[in-house]
Amino acid sequence: MTPRNWVEQMPSVSAFWINRVLYDVQHKPREAASFRSDPDAYLSEIPVSDHVKQLLRVNDIGQLYLSGANPYLLRTHCLQLQVPEPEYLAALRAVSDQAYGHE
Amino acid sequence: MSELVGVFATAHTPVMINLADNASENVRNDVFAAYRDVGRRITESEPDVLVVISDDHLHNFFLDNFPAFCIGVAAQYSGPIEAWLKTDQATVIGDPELGAHLLFEVMERGFDPSFTMQFTLDHGYVVPLELAGIRGHHRIVPIHVNTVQPPMPSMGRCLAFGQALGAAIRSWSADVRVAVLATGGISHDVGTPRMGMLNEEFDREFLRRLAWGDTDSLVAYAAANVDKAGNGAEEVRSWLIAHGIAGGSFSTLYYQGVAEWYTGIALGEWEIQ
Repeated sequence: MTPRNWVEQMPSVSAFWINRVLYDVQHKPREAASFRSDPDAYLSEIPVSDHVKQLLRVNDIGQLYLSGANPYLLRTHCLQLQVPEPEYLAALRAVSDQAYGHE
Repeated sequence: MSELVGVFATAHTPVMINLADNASENVRNDVFAAYRDVGRRITESEPDVLVVISDDHLHNFFLDNFPAFCIGVAAQYSGPIEAWLKTDQATVIGDPELGAHLLFEVMERGFDPSFTMQFTLDHGYVVPLELAGIRGHHRIVPIHVNTVQPPMPSMGRCLAFGQALGAAIRSWSADVRVAVLATGGISHDVGTPRMGMLNEEFDREFLRRLAWGDTDSLVAYAAANVDKAGNGAEEVRSWLIAHGIAGGSFSTLYYQGVAEWYTGIALGEWEIQ
């Protein structure tokens, strides 16, 4: 197990766009409404892979973390979505091995 | 001339407010009493202005332009910016004259922080002031240090930035009393698979080295071990800035690892040199 605080030391382009979505949905009411009303249409404008779009669409917390989502933005996004705390923590714990390697 | 009258540091996790009841009544009582004690100490130092050092948690700043350091020079600051933070909205009066003085002075001392004239306080600023019972009691100058998105300023650079700020505060010609409150840390993870796991060994050793006063050892320890203490522990940069500002000896006022709040909760005070 290798302890580390960050998945990416420098955000990849894909991670930037993940974070762009998380930030805009949190801070811009019009973006949030657009994302909620038609996530596929909203995400069609975001230059990331179909796999990443799916992670954003279903809010796959663990895989978004592994894909370089900033943990603070992901946390506040989940607070805004009112994801139950145990569910949120369990989703992160489930990718612990992938994040840090096996014990 | 201005006078530096107090330098303090505290944790700032919003969980203390949003999920307060996750911790036992005894823990809540102890922690909240420790914050009120810091509030009392700050009040008794009779500051005119409070310089509050924290990180903006990707609210005011985003990856399109993310400053390593930023000094607030606004006339007022509202907050909290987080709609989910269970506290009242309030506006705190700023001190743009002191903010501008700090900006110019640290630039003369080899630092190039950004500045902001429009900044909304997040929990890093609001929570400690609220728990200390002094929110809105003083003019403030918020200072941001990036601890939330690599690449971040090095631990040593933060200590040196604090030393430059300390010299800047002391060099202001205005007859003003200035106190400093640095916030964040210590060990905790936010939004990672380790969230909820503390590293009390790191916390206690970091606090011990702050009190020890060997800055090279302190900086080296923080840099070498922060990855074992969680991404929230990157906020020890705020403590190092405060250490640089004060220049005097440090004392821990309170420490308790509170797993229910995901955080090693520490509060401390420096003697002014």
